[in-house]
Amino acid sequence: MDRSRRNFLGLGAAAVGTATLQPATVEAREARHGGDAAHRWAMVVDLRKCVGCQACTMACIMENRVPEDSFRTIVSTYEVAENGKSATYMLPRLCNHCENPPCTPVCPTGATYQRQDGIVVVDNSVCVGCGYCVQACPYDARFINHETLTADKCNFCVHRVDAGLLPACVETCVGGARIFGDLNDPESTVSKLVASEDVKVLKPGEGTDPRVFYIGLEAEFQGRVDGTPTLWRPSRAKAEPSLV
Amino acid sequence: MDEHILELINVTREVAWLPWAVQYFFLIGISVGAVLLSLPGYWIGRPNWTKLSRLALVVALVCGLAAPVALVSDLHQPNRFWHFYVAWRPHSWMWWGSFFIPVYIGGLLFYAWAALRPEIAAQGRVDSRLGRLYRLVAMGEPRGAGLMKLAGAVVLVGAGLVALYTGVEVYVVRAQILWHTPLLPFQFLLTGLAGALGLVLVLNPIVGDGDARVEVKANRLLALVLAGVMVLGMVWLGLGYFDLDAANAQALRTVAASPAWRNTAIWAALATLVPFLIALVKPRGTGILTGLIAIHSAWMFRWTVFIDGQSIPKTGAGFYEYALPRGAEGLLGIVGTAGLCLFLLVVITALLPMPKRPATGAAETAFLHPAE
Repeated sequence: MDRSRRNFLGLGAAAVGTATLQPATVEAREARHGGDAAHRWAMVVDLRKCVGCQACTMACIMENRVPEDSFRTIVSTYEVAENGKSATYMLPRLCNHCENPPCTPVCPTGATYQRQDGIVVVDNSVCVGCGYCVQACPYDARFINHETLTADKCNFCVHRVDAGLLPACVETCVGGARIFGDLNDPESTVSKLVASEDVKVLKPGEGTDPRVFYIGLEAEFQGRVDGTPTLWRPSRAKAEPSLV
Repeated sequence: MDEHILELINVTREVAWLPWAVQYFFLIGISVGAVLLSLPGYWIGRPNWTKLSRLALVVALVCGLAAPVALVSDLHQPNRFWHFYVAWRPHSWMWWGSFFIPVYIGGLLFYAWAALRPEIAAQGRVDSRLGRLYRLVAMGEPRGAGLMKLAGAVVLVGAGLVALYTGVEVYVVRAQILWHTPLLPFQFLLTGLAGALGLVLVLNPIVGDGDARVEVKANRLLALVLAGVMVLGMVWLGLGYFDLDAANAQALRTVAASPAWRNTAIWAALATLVPFLIALVKPRGTGILTGLIAIHSAWMFRWTVFIDGQSIPKTGAGFYEYALPRGAEGLLGIVGTAGLCLFLLVVITALLPMPKRPATGAAETAFLHPAE
């Protein structure tokens, strides 16, 4: 399977796991429902190709009607100064659709769960908006949607994936930095990249076993970034129109 | 190598657990602490505890009845609270909590009824418009201590379950650095007990008869509990500072360099040390002061854990900013909860005023345990 739309439509159903991937816990497997167990959707983000244009951020907002001040995905951008030289570092962030998601077991109503194809979703007709999953996510990927008043997050554009399309962020990525595909298909681009490249994940010590892999992820950015925080805050835009 | 990282663009996540949650954990912690303080007088029957236990029971009722309102209000979809009861989620501590809370509140009402039954029956003997209602609620004249023993056991189990779930529910959240520390459940319990003693001290001259012996006893207990709070605080710091516990060490490393967090730590330490010293050195005539500081300390601990704790980004640099909104998601929730507590206090003390009895242990015991 490849990241292109044409190849994406011709999905293989091979159920061969990637050797580097750890199995899900029994609890996580039992809780899975919906989706097609023949697939295990995943994303590889090639940081060498990301230009920080935020087209993915915008595409996600438009596709999923993400409310103002909220983001399902964003390209975190850093200026790294080292020995008198500085460079810009881009890091697209989104839900990691972990193999062992810490957000699903804590849910008191079962509103958030993992599908058999690995996509972690939120049923906002069941969610009570308790925010427990928001707390449990180690990646700050979840938030309370101010319009639905329920938990919200990236769902790999599940409505598009189920229709044989790519997630909006992948579709729009100008640099081809986001690659989406099926880990159960050994011929997919994501499977080959995971097998051949030195892929890393965010916060590997958390035991969440993310299914968003990064190529070119520096150690300083794998966990909580130790640096000077950004001066810009979305909520400030209302109070200080000059910042808009 | 000289390296510096400046975050240019990132997302700011707003708090998902609002000040309502602070109010809930504050009130339920105090209620559980107050139940524990009421047991020696009502359940064990210690004569020198009767007045303090009577005050503590009022505190347990006021806070216990207000707490679930704050909890439901913290849900962003409060009208869906029933979803908890149509799901099977045994691996969620919050789900367990949705069952433990009614067990505790039900047990508390049963316990309060059993404990106050002699007073209710006494009110029923007074010729008043509500006499019939009192007699109906009293369900006859209390006989024997068996019911009281049963009710005490029920509320103790309920209080234990609530103390367990409120502590563990927060502790298990590994992603929140400040929450996932093993001492947190014990800190909740002890600070809740301190808050309960604080409210007893404040209410003693207001709804009680201002008995100095109650004040001295509560102040001495407060000093003991605050000593425990300080010991736990030092152990927390020690575990982090000497890297004896990885979670504690990470939590300490995250906040230690921040001037704002250092100020919070100094404030929290003073809010514990000052009432401890006053209660220890001058337990008489200082109840209002030590009580108010103890209440503040218990509330501040929860504010720091929940609101400040959520201001620590999980991936980004620095800290998220938080400004208390004036509406229902902020100040209004705090004021509203306080108003509800005041209302409940007025109703409870109006229906069942504190008994004006000679402060002899024997007389009080006879009043509270007529069959003994």
